[in-house]
Amino acid sequence: MSVYITSTGAFLPGPPIPRNEVEHILGMVNGQPSSLRVQIQQANQIDTRHYAIDANQKTTHSNTEMASNAAEQCLDRAFIPREKVGMLAVASTQGDLPAPGMASMVQASLGLPAIEILTTHGICSSSMMAIKATWNSLRVGDHEAAMVVSSELSSRLLKKQRYEAATESTFAAKRIDFNTEFLRWMLSDGAGALLLQNTPAPKGFSLRIDWVRGFSHAHALPTCMSVGSAGRPDDERTWQDYETYADAERAGALLLRQEVRLLDNIIRMGVDGYLRLVQEGVSKPAEIDHFLCHYSSHHFRSKILDMLDAAGVGIPEERWWTNLYTRGNTGAASLFIMIDEFLRTDEVTIKEGDCILCFVPESGRFNTTYMQLTVVKK
Amino acid sequence: MNNGEILIEGKNEPEDLPVGDEVPVMNPHAQVCLQHLLRVWLGFERDLSTVPILRRLDLGTYTVEDHRLLLLNLRQQVIEGSRWITRTASSFDRNHAEIRSTVIAHAVDEHRDYEILEQDYVASGGRLEDILGLERNVGSEALHGFLMYRASRTNPVDLLGAMWIIEGLGEKMARSWAERIHELTGLGEDSTKFMTYHGHNDGDHMQRFYKTLDEVCVDEKITMSIVKTAQVVARLYRLQLEELKHDLN
Repeated sequence: MSVYITSTGAFLPGPPIPRNEVEHILGMVNGQPSSLRVQIQQANQIDTRHYAIDANQKTTHSNTEMASNAAEQCLDRAFIPREKVGMLAVASTQGDLPAPGMASMVQASLGLPAIEILTTHGICSSSMMAIKATWNSLRVGDHEAAMVVSSELSSRLLKKQRYEAATESTFAAKRIDFNTEFLRWMLSDGAGALLLQNTPAPKGFSLRIDWVRGFSHAHALPTCMSVGSAGRPDDERTWQDYETYADAERAGALLLRQEVRLLDNIIRMGVDGYLRLVQEGVSKPAEIDHFLCHYSSHHFRSKILDMLDAAGVGIPEERWWTNLYTRGNTGAASLFIMIDEFLRTDEVTIKEGDCILCFVPESGRFNTTYMQLTVVKK
Repeated sequence: MNNGEILIEGKNEPEDLPVGDEVPVMNPHAQVCLQHLLRVWLGFERDLSTVPILRRLDLGTYTVEDHRLLLLNLRQQVIEGSRWITRTASSFDRNHAEIRSTVIAHAVDEHRDYEILEQDYVASGGRLEDILGLERNVGSEALHGFLMYRASRTNPVDLLGAMWIIEGLGEKMARSWAERIHELTGLGEDSTKFMTYHGHNDGDHMQRFYKTLDEVCVDEKITMSIVKTAQVVARLYRLQLEELKHDLN
């Protein structure tokens, strides 16, 4: 049975924040401007982004609210009544509550009665995990329609107070702690939602989900992006092993970290997974009309892309599309926010039969996920 | 800071990249071969992360002693490297003169590399007689044996797969090991000359490699023999790096 994305929605909190105002929102740590902000922002080339906190670092929207707003927009645009929705899957790096799962909270907020729920936990690729499980639920006929929502509120981890409280952390000890600051100037907030149905929408384009695949390399590679440890090689404790949460915070175990040195593994493993799908005959490079990538092409500008061209399986740059530069890197929410805008943008002409390859790499412990969609019309 | 392939330093174009129109057009067999070789390489590179001594590079616990141990064990394979390369050259017949020239040039480039490695070892606090006297470890024996066996066969084009892995590793050492070693151990650049030396002339190497691959990889059988040899060399190279302790005992 085929499954289709028949409606989409997105929610980006507050106004777009330009690069030079980002630190006004997140705050200057101990009153000092960051010495790394400009460099990291130039590298990621994100021009504007959104935050669900204000300039006093007070939360303006909860993660549940953002997820619900995206879902409401998606349902408003749908051709079916919300009662038809039999399942809700929600993906996020961190819900408002550590427990219960975020899907419970979003369900309550949406008022969807007695549905099946699923919360997927991870980082960026948790959105793909949610979509795969939901796709399969529809494929086996358990439901006619299901919502998949992804939402991220990372600014709560990135506000100045988090860093100021980490008085005994690597961040406090070093003059420059690249690994701890890297994501501060990268991530921002937002939510996206997709409605999956077992028939295409009666009007307009729907996106048939052809396949969803993922390859995780945690068995071989170390942790690269994480929250919960102090980031010292000789300290194996995780945040709940400290006597108090205050101790964990002081040690920097609640800071978001990226092992920048290990990051290029995500590009390598991303290419490996792509080549694997090509070799298995699952993905046919010549047939890909649009490539929606959670990373933008300038991150991949490396020899490995030239090698893909030499090997005859490169994807020409004009087929890449992203809204990362204007909507920000919203982690798990990025792909859904991207699909939502892709279907509406004037930058690309979409026609029936077009093939869309989506790629979400997660640097957490190197999970690379892929999805192919085909544009259909009823 | 070494940022790997992610250009967080904000550079627009890395200098060493061939621009798009210089990407060679290879025959379809060579293209498929390159796809396979890329996957063999990426799997090899990933699995190197599980090798204890290299894991310490990733986790930040690599020491000066680790560095000496690594050099000690690399040298025994490097010193044999020139033998299998020159043997390979002599195994090509008159119909393979072009590739024979390439292999000879390669052998000339690299046949004294082990001397640089020995200097690195001494600069890292090791004694020259120790590195001169060490036997090959279990992995080096297997790798050397396999390479000499393949090199002794007539027209051993499959050894392109071996060059792919060994060249790639040389470049990886220069790109991501050397600076990390300085950072973690406090050792100076004179302790990693062997590693950094291999990062040079990389663009030329790639163009030469593509050209050779296009010339020799003309059917499925040759494709799979090149890929298989790359797989075996990758596995045996990793074995060599896993078997470091064995030799000390």
